[in-house]
Amino acid sequence: MIKIENLTKKYLKQTVLDIDSIDIPLGQTFGLIGNNGAGKTTLFSCLLDLIKPTKGKVINNDVDVSKSEDWKSFTTAFLDETFLIGYLMPEEYFYFIGELRGLNKKEVDSFLAQFEDFFHGEILGGKKYLRDLSKGNQKKAGVVAALIGEPKVVILDEPFANLDPTTQIRLKSIVKDMSKNKDVTVLVSSHDIQDVTEVCERIVLLEKGRVIKDLVTSPETLKELESYFKGE
Amino acid sequence: MFKRMFGLQWKEFNRGKAAGGKLIAKILKWFGIVYFAFMSFMMGLIASKYGGPSMTFPIEEGTTAPFLYLNKQLIYVFAYLIVMRYFIQSLPVLNIRALLLAPVLKTQIVRFSLLKTVFTYFNILPLFFLIPFSFLLAKSGNYDITGLIFWNINIIGIIYVTNFFNFLLNNKDKLLYGVGATLALIKALEFYSVIDFTIYSEQFFYLFYNAPYATCFTWLLVFWLYGYVKKYFLKGLYLDKGLQLKIAEAKIDDFSFLDRFGKTATFIKNDLRLLKRSKRARTAVYMGIGFLFYGLIFASQEDLYSDFAGGSFALAMSFFGYLFSTGGFLFMFGSFVPSWDSQYYPLMMTQKILYKEYLNSKWSLMIIGTVISTILASFIYSFFGTNAVYAVLAGAFYNIGVNGYLTLWAGAYTKSPIDLNSSANAFGDKKAINAKTLLVGFPQMLLPVLVYYFTSQYYDHLTGCLAVAGLGTLGIFLKPVAFNLIMKAYKTEKYSTLKAYKTN
Repeated sequence: MIKIENLTKKYLKQTVLDIDSIDIPLGQTFGLIGNNGAGKTTLFSCLLDLIKPTKGKVINNDVDVSKSEDWKSFTTAFLDETFLIGYLMPEEYFYFIGELRGLNKKEVDSFLAQFEDFFHGEILGGKKYLRDLSKGNQKKAGVVAALIGEPKVVILDEPFANLDPTTQIRLKSIVKDMSKNKDVTVLVSSHDIQDVTEVCERIVLLEKGRVIKDLVTSPETLKELESYFKGE
Repeated sequence: MFKRMFGLQWKEFNRGKAAGGKLIAKILKWFGIVYFAFMSFMMGLIASKYGGPSMTFPIEEGTTAPFLYLNKQLIYVFAYLIVMRYFIQSLPVLNIRALLLAPVLKTQIVRFSLLKTVFTYFNILPLFFLIPFSFLLAKSGNYDITGLIFWNINIIGIIYVTNFFNFLLNNKDKLLYGVGATLALIKALEFYSVIDFTIYSEQFFYLFYNAPYATCFTWLLVFWLYGYVKKYFLKGLYLDKGLQLKIAEAKIDDFSFLDRFGKTATFIKNDLRLLKRSKRARTAVYMGIGFLFYGLIFASQEDLYSDFAGGSFALAMSFFGYLFSTGGFLFMFGSFVPSWDSQYYPLMMTQKILYKEYLNSKWSLMIIGTVISTILASFIYSFFGTNAVYAVLAGAFYNIGVNGYLTLWAGAYTKSPIDLNSSANAFGDKKAINAKTLLVGFPQMLLPVLVYYFTSQYYDHLTGCLAVAGLGTLGIFLKPVAFNLIMKAYKTEKYSTLKAYKTN
């Protein structure tokens, strides 16, 4: 589904991303892990054509993302709060995103109904604009908006950080449900090795922009990652 | 300590998010300041020789008419100063939260924030007028030098009163409404000539010339206000008080009646909400309304300059005024496309959005604003005769057919992020417009005025209007071509725009 080829990004002389090749097949739940500055967000930004790579390319479902914009019709993302429109109410925001993806109000409403638990009564029907919600609630809204319109590729940057325990557990089960659906490719990044090993089928460890490990998740994965980050 | 805080400010100024990209903006801003300083200086020179509309220019020897005339007008000067400050002057925003826990006295934080405003151009520019004006008056030998000096000290005092008063205006809504109502009342009473405030203004300000010690009271007021504002902010330095963001109760705005316009409507709905809910964006609307009356400045003075260059110069200046009257909103809103969306530009760039739809929606909103402005302006200027209305309509055509595109095109290169939420800050930042916005407009304004000037010179007024309107109409037909060029600019600028908007 997604092919990353010879992707490098340099700022001045510093190389922040240098990936020979990663091939993510359709339906895979793909986890990206690494310390600060490992290049996780940079990689996602390249996938979404928000940053122009110095070299190399990203092919998303046969579309070269820097050449054509066709990938936008089946790819969604939530990287950070710059994906939220602060002056909208959550409902208005969902409708807006829905309209862009060809869903009318009713369809968006019925889509949102399944997230009632996840929202925990704090998102819909409130009297607040997105800008006035807490960071955690903003993230909930952003993540759900990224799921509107049956996307084939969903990219979430650190979705589990800053969430309360209940929401973390619920979001993990949402991601796991998606990974059962073999039509959706999910890309998730995290700082928490436990989180990624729990939800991802495959884990790539980045360090200073390079792929250090590329693992199919197994019972040993957690230990392996742990020992790496301990410096053993 | 003061030095260190100043250093912090300097670094913020230098290393601010778009420091590099803002260089041109900075240059233009300074160009604007120099321009206004020069104009103030020239006005100071002229005013010292001028005795008001009914009087002769230059004045006869040995009268004090210029001084009296200025005193008459000062009440309006200060009224406008208060209004301008409220809308334009940005109040200092130190990174207060970070300093709260630092070993810095809270009084020092507040004192620094307040004293920094002492040197804003609103306080400095008047000196460019006052100094040459007073100097020439003193030189004429008709005035008491001590009186003049104290009169100046008093005026500067009042300027600082408005400076600190502005802090309160920005933070106390009741005061704001009170002052707004008072200013409106003064304007209304003057307009219907119920009360002539200029008489009182003259007496009041002449007092400080006549009785220099009265100046003490002004400065006592300055220090009292400073102390009051200081105390007010000191009390607010808690996370749940002044530093807390005011949260307005949200209400859904249903603009579904717009849905029939398809994808364009999707964005227009959002922009309407933006204009409604962001203080910063609302200012664009207020400015648009304000500019409706811009033409009055020139139209009301046409007679004054009718001898100059056969009167056609005066007409051209009026034409410039009309052009701005209908285009105010277009410039105020359009110059900040796509900056209005800067906070969520990455979202927009990853959605299935065609630039064409996006730009078309912004353009449509600008055009709707222009059409409404035109209707209102034609009404306002109908009092100046049909010729004025022709000029207004010609300006409107040009704005729709040419300036809309130019503004959007320039927007691709603007790249200054707008913090829509910042106005809710304790120290409030309401700088919705900057000098650049106005200056980008000049090439867009100069061409139609020149076209009008030359055609009306050789033919007549109506032909001049038709020529400009013709250019506009041509522009309307060339929309696809213009949009293609604009789209290209947006596409090539995409990455650098994203980078400039990045906030972390």
